[in-house]
Amino acid sequence: MGLKSSWETGRLPDVIGLLARLILGVVLVWAGAVKVTNPAQSALAVRAFKVLPYDFAGYVGYALPVLEILLGLLLVLGLFTRVSAALGGLLMLAFIFGISWAWAHGYSIDCGCFGGGGTIAASQTQYPLEILRDAGIAACAAWLVVRPRTPYSLDHRLFG
Amino acid sequence: MRPDASKKIATVTPKGGPNVVIIGAVIAVLVVLAVVVAIVIGNNSKPSSSASGKVAPVGVVGGTGGGILVNPAAAKTNVPTVDVYADFQCPICGRFEEQFGPALTAMAKAGEMKYVVHMMSFLDTNLGNDASLRSTNAAACAADAGKFPEYHSAVFAVQPAKEGDGYTDAQLTEIAKNVGITGPALTTWQQCTSSGQHNQYVADVADTSGKAGVTGTPTVKINGKDITKTLTTPESLIAAVKAAKS
Repeated sequence: MGLKSSWETGRLPDVIGLLARLILGVVLVWAGAVKVTNPAQSALAVRAFKVLPYDFAGYVGYALPVLEILLGLLLVLGLFTRVSAALGGLLMLAFIFGISWAWAHGYSIDCGCFGGGGTIAASQTQYPLEILRDAGIAACAAWLVVRPRTPYSLDHRLFG
Repeated sequence: MRPDASKKIATVTPKGGPNVVIIGAVIAVLVVLAVVVAIVIGNNSKPSSSASGKVAPVGVVGGTGGGILVNPAAAKTNVPTVDVYADFQCPICGRFEEQFGPALTAMAKAGEMKYVVHMMSFLDTNLGNDASLRSTNAAACAADAGKFPEYHSAVFAVQPAKEGDGYTDAQLTEIAKNVGITGPALTTWQQCTSSGQHNQYVADVADTSGKAGVTGTPTVKINGKDITKTLTTPESLIAAVKAAKS
């Protein structure tokens, strides 16, 4: 009983949850904001992975920054935390897949995660770092899916 | 014994509060709308061109958005096709041209290959300028004047030391004069460049090449096979072309 209640209402899980929510939310807003003003660049970055067909990759490139900003805002506000975190986590898994794909195929690209993107010199690729970073963010998302309850959230204020 | 919290929970649980389903549905609709708007705006952000910009330059092979065949007269039959994809603003392309350009030109003149140049323009997006579009359109206009190989080499020869400085219109005109576009041909060339006559062609090349899997420059293909990574010296390129022939 004691263990269960400290998991549900404990201070430490609350703090971890709040941090996870803010990290995931702020990173998503930031990543979207730096890309949203240059849709052509974003399309180019997605195409460089050569995962999706050319035209479809373009659409994904246009849509992704907006989606990231909105998901990030929901998380920062703590609204529909579980659903938003699940979607954010799926995005991170997709990014990790894309980066691994590019790495495995020997492409020399920048992931374009925070703007930029496209082909770069082979010596400048940072695949392990990019994957590690996205995995860390995905872990934040996983925590929130399992335990979406966090302090200072609209979920808490609106829906109790 | 822990105190019974059920009373407290009952008092803080709002009754008749905001409806989760309605708020969720509104947000979901807003998100979908925003994404659709972003796709439409993004799609329209592609450089568009006037009707006068929809002319393909002389020498294009391989359909819409194909490269320009450098040596139509010299190329013998049954020789391999060498496709080079490069952006006038890409520094590595500049170094590639410096290192491999002479060998490519020599083989093209000797007719040992069909030399097809695909001028890419994605660095405009990366760098936030329009120098790739203008220089590529200018080179396509030079193709109309029969001076494509000369113009192409000359642009790379004056590539700025700093990526992003681009090319001025004055520079591009100077190159036209230097490669021997003069008199009425120069007037035609100037009309062609100032009206962006081949701007649509430039966009088509970017699309066609992208769909063919070319996302980086320089890219070199022999008979359609990407051999960029195997190239170390001009000799390695010459050997690869000779090997493809037999």
